Amino acid sequence: MDSHAVIKTWVVSYTDGLYLRACTAVSDKAIAEDLVQETFIAAFQSFDKFRSESSPQTWLFAILNNKINDHYRSKQKASIVSKDTTFFGYFFDEHGHWRESECPKEWSDADLHLLDNSEFKNTLQKCRGNLPGHWDMVLQLKYIDQRDGKEICQDLNISPSNFWQLMHRAKLQLRKCLELHWFNK
Amino acid sequence: MKRLVNILMLSCQKATELIEKEQYFGLSTLEKLRLRVHLTICDFCTRYKQQSRFLHDVLGHHSHDHATNVNESLKEKIINQIENL
Ligand SMILES: [Zn+2]
Repeated sequence: MDSHAVIKTWVVSYTDGLYLRACTAVSDKAIAEDLVQETFIAAFQSFDKFRSESSPQTWLFAILNNKINDHYRSKQKASIVSKDTTFFGYFFDEHGHWRESECPKEWSDADLHLLDNSEFKNTLQKCRGNLPGHWDMVLQLKYIDQRDGKEICQDLNISPSNFWQLMHRAKLQLRKCLELHWFNK
Repeated sequence: MKRLVNILMLSCQKATELIEKEQYFGLSTLEKLRLRVHLTICDFCTRYKQQSRFLHDVLGHHSHDHATNVNESLKEKIINQIENL
């Protein structure tokens, strides 16, 4: 296969992961798209330097991470886990107990067969759409690509504690949304 | 005794965080113990745990179509560009 053909298969296989990584790093989708595009162009142009014994994924992420660093060279790196206490303040009181209105309620019929129900899938889709972009992307990386938590942390350049804290927020918000719009409608 | 209680006491906020941590990375022995103690006395967090597990399973089977479409057009754009290099 020539370099064109190889890179094309890489674009198909690795764009999703690279794009998510870029989005969490820059949180502007247009810039993220540009960074991914530049990554593949750089990979194509320095294809000779790629050693086939190393994984293309690792190589591409290294290129992307360099691009991201370039992007932030003059700016301060934006943190993808904000330390806002107001988010948790919505669910928990000052002692960390569930607020009365936010206590998880019983869900009847919470079973995987709900995925055959298009109405439920619409609700789920909407609730996911309400999550801040990079939260949904972490979910996407984890669940659509079936990736291991440690691997995602490596690719996204975040610590494990950042990862499960993002998951914690995303799950709290997602379960609340489903409870409001589906289970306790 | 009071100190022991303090060590074992967990807020619901912390307990739900540990529930998520457990799913992705596992817990230390002390964390496991603290969470187990909390869950025996807190029905809400027990419920949260079941529902979080349910979400975990649901998300594993559900794809978010919007994001996928964005990526498909991005892939096309990049492939076109590389063909012209
Ligand atoms: Zn609790």
